[in-house]
Amino acid sequence: MGIIGLGIAAMGVAIGLGLIGYGAMTGMSRQPEAIGKLQTAMIIALAFVELVFLLTVFVGISSAK
Amino acid sequence: MDSLLLNHASRLASAEGGEHTVTIAGVGVYLGVVLIAMFIYLSMAKKGFGQRVFKNFVTGTFEQLYLFLENMAVNTIGSHGRKYVPMLVTFWLVIFFANLVGLFFPLTPTAVVGFNLGMALIVFGYVQYEGARANGVLGHISHFAGPKLPGVLAVLITPIIFCIELVSELMKNVSLTLRLYGNIHGGHQAVEAINHLTEKFYIAAGEFLLPIKLLTVLVQAMIFCLLTCVYLGLVTGHHDDHEHGDGHGEAAHA
Repeated sequence: MGIIGLGIAAMGVAIGLGLIGYGAMTGMSRQPEAIGKLQTAMIIALAFVELVFLLTVFVGISSAK
Repeated sequence: MDSLLLNHASRLASAEGGEHTVTIAGVGVYLGVVLIAMFIYLSMAKKGFGQRVFKNFVTGTFEQLYLFLENMAVNTIGSHGRKYVPMLVTFWLVIFFANLVGLFFPLTPTAVVGFNLGMALIVFGYVQYEGARANGVLGHISHFAGPKLPGVLAVLITPIIFCIELVSELMKNVSLTLRLYGNIHGGHQAVEAINHLTEKFYIAAGEFLLPIKLLTVLVQAMIFCLLTCVYLGLVTGHHDDHEHGDGHGEAAHA
């Protein structure tokens, strides 16, 4: 059961990360001079999405025990 | 939760019979400190600023790092962000080298919750201090209460906003700690899992994850510094760009 939950969490986070990457790539190709700013914002967003997954993992581990 | 906090280091220590045993994470700290000292020593300009200094590889790398962090600070915090660069460089070096040690050892300082929590608490305390210095103590506290609302709304909504902001402020600690811990520790777990898959053939296939772990090492060091910048910018840049009105924007709710 925990493994299934982990899979669902990973799926959601993967979709989120893909959307962020898609948006950043599109923006970068449209406006190559804004690459620096876009990268910074993209990495902040990536960090926040990643954190959700990590929190899921920790909550899952500590509630499974 | 117990095992999460204690981690392998203390288990190793208790297995070796005592509280004062040298753990692998402890050795990692010393190794990281030695690497940082070597890097700093090599990147110092010894005999003035000549042609030789700027063509040296290590000096050039350090200059790139400094410029990168300065650029980040100035872009995120504002023009007064330049004075935070020494702290950012320190954090970057500590996290980067501690992570780098972890590429080759099963345990590193940053894969232990306590080390990360220590760094996160330093950032948290410094952010509060800087906020209190920039806006005054009362101003800093009222900054949590959100915008001024008219009449009854102020009584009804402002306490709720204050509580939520307080919780999100405290969550900054947790987010900084768990992000670094989860990424580094998770990398180790993934390597172990992949090694376990191919152990019948005596191949340590987990080491093929090394490039992506190297990427994680760089990005995590950068994210820690970037979030420090964002938090500092949120509390100190409140008065000079007030017209934007997003003092606690989306970045605050980590």
